[in-house]
Amino acid sequence: MKPNFVKKVTNWGNFPVVEKEMRSEDQYSKIKDFVLNHNEIIARGNGRCYGDSSLAESIFSTKKLNKFISFDRLNGIIECESGVLLSDVLEISVPQGYFLYVTPGTKFISVGGALASDVHGKNHHAEGCFSEYVIDFKLMNEKGEIITCSREENSDKFWATIGGMGLTGIILSVKFKLKNIESAYIRQESIKAENLDEIFRLFEESESWTYTVAWIDCLQKGKDLGRSIMMRGEHAFPHELPEKLKNNPLRLKKKFSPTVPFYFPGFALNSLTVKIFNYLYYKKQAKKEVKNFTDYDTFFYPLDFVNDWNKIYGKKGFIQYQMMIPKDKGREGMQRILETIANSGSGSFLAVLKLYGKENPEAYNSFPFEGYSLALDFKVDKNLKKLIGQLDSIVEEYNGKIYLTKDSMSRSSLTNYLKNVENPKFISLQHKRILNNNTI
Amino acid sequence: MIVLGSTSEVAQAFVEKALQEGEKFEKIYLLTSSREASERFAKHIDVKFFQQSEIIEIDLTKEINYTKLEQISSNLLFCATGFLGEGSEEGLYDDKNTARIIEINYSKLVPLINFFAQKFESKRSGTIIGLSSVAGDRGRQSNFIYGSAKAAFTAYLSGLRNYLFEKKVHVMTVKPGFMDTKMTEGLPLNPALTATPKQAADCIYKAFKKQKNSIYVLPIWSVIMLIIRNIPEFIFKKLKL
Repeated sequence: MKPNFVKKVTNWGNFPVVEKEMRSEDQYSKIKDFVLNHNEIIARGNGRCYGDSSLAESIFSTKKLNKFISFDRLNGIIECESGVLLSDVLEISVPQGYFLYVTPGTKFISVGGALASDVHGKNHHAEGCFSEYVIDFKLMNEKGEIITCSREENSDKFWATIGGMGLTGIILSVKFKLKNIESAYIRQESIKAENLDEIFRLFEESESWTYTVAWIDCLQKGKDLGRSIMMRGEHAFPHELPEKLKNNPLRLKKKFSPTVPFYFPGFALNSLTVKIFNYLYYKKQAKKEVKNFTDYDTFFYPLDFVNDWNKIYGKKGFIQYQMMIPKDKGREGMQRILETIANSGSGSFLAVLKLYGKENPEAYNSFPFEGYSLALDFKVDKNLKKLIGQLDSIVEEYNGKIYLTKDSMSRSSLTNYLKNVENPKFISLQHKRILNNNTI
Repeated sequence: MIVLGSTSEVAQAFVEKALQEGEKFEKIYLLTSSREASERFAKHIDVKFFQQSEIIEIDLTKEINYTKLEQISSNLLFCATGFLGEGSEEGLYDDKNTARIIEINYSKLVPLINFFAQKFESKRSGTIIGLSSVAGDRGRQSNFIYGSAKAAFTAYLSGLRNYLFEKKVHVMTVKPGFMDTKMTEGLPLNPALTATPKQAADCIYKAFKKQKNSIYVLPIWSVIMLIIRNIPEFIFKKLKL
């Protein structure tokens, strides 16, 4: 048997699926050889992006770059290789009183991916993107040289790489700051909103909260359009916690997490089942407002609880559509987006609305700017392209943007915003598609 | 703990598993032919578990300087040293390739393990875990030089287990089957028959706790190898395995 390294590769949405060369090395000299001997390379972490952004003719998997390098426990500064997952970081940092400043909705992404996507979380309005807390990182460029990038050193590469979708080189390791916490729990408030007006009002009112997010039932129409639940939270102090949690506030008990054993058949997820799910989810909370304490896993990563949940979308896969509309037109734009989805009948299992704070002008390749974003899951089927076309038109009208980490079919006018990344060595299938103005 | 072949992903996963389970080691001795790779791991376990370790460079294809191993003392030895070499088609008539496979997997390795076995014997305690291979269960055309060295290594471990039994030292043989590691990267392996290093480490740790003698990592391999061992030779020699 001769190794050929060609594999079927796909990201979290199981769409698209490609057969490409994928290799993983942990020695810098071997990574250099790989870079020098291949063209059209992209680095790939844990494959938790949705579309084609971490796929290329030659894929370098950072899975073997999975070691911690140092942890300054006094100042909360950690350095690790790029393939280390956020879950690995949390496993060691939480018991010692540190949390990630910025985390997306899954902890199963790599640190390199977090930097390349410049991920944001429920606290963007208060604490910005992941890059705000990055001190420096090591990048292998097209010549196989390793350069350290920080705000002072190679700062042009530093800013181009942040949110640069891996197009500037291979991120080898990252040093970043962690946030002090006193407990592993979140003081949470969940508030039901009857419609779009109410949820927008709640967002405006909740700006002083560190974490805010809303789940939207996107199959509702008319007066119920925008029916949703707002969740807001703060890291809890030990003295606030209920008695039984006070003794060991930084340790969580191990929980059982079920695994989806196989791909659901295509018909399992349809507008009726989504409607039932959304109905139950909304009605589950009987009271208008619930205040409680929840562990960080449940608050930040509710979907990580089920392993391989992507399989419920069936073998054809699904896409995530996450767009952003400027704040002043947010209410109007979201209404049109939600109306278009409700009329199409293609319900989204998961629809998340978020308010974003001011952008960091230095991090010019980052996705967020001040406004509202909506993230939606759609099963891949024959009607999807038409719906995405309609949604893209609305986003374009309001000068919005699509999140590249999740994009797989949006029009290039909404997705070609990266600057200073042109490099023939590092190019993903996504970037090629955007440059050629193609759709899958 | 003493780790022979400390750049092996299975060895590293086993160390992490043991530390996660709360095993205490004053120091972990990482014997390696690649200082750089072992240093990465040493830092990693320091950050993750506050675990002290020491890197000792050893190259099995060269003369071993035993004086630098004298001061090592431990109750557990994990041996994951291995070299697959070029397969029979490309490597069979290459003497260097053949010698290297035999040295790393058997002839140079055995004296090294003996060195530590003697220490364990004199203390009358400890466990030696050796990673052999299913390839040693029956010689097949695809990798029989490697397989023959592993067969010898399996026999050595079995004899050592027998010899050390009365001296209160336990020896465990592990035959991993296909593994998703550097050694096999890029090969089209059947996922149902392939274990990740983490899976292997979990299984080896469990068997270590139960003081098992010889294990396959995935249970399916005991069935496969039972069949392979029992195919009559006049049929077996015609098969393309």
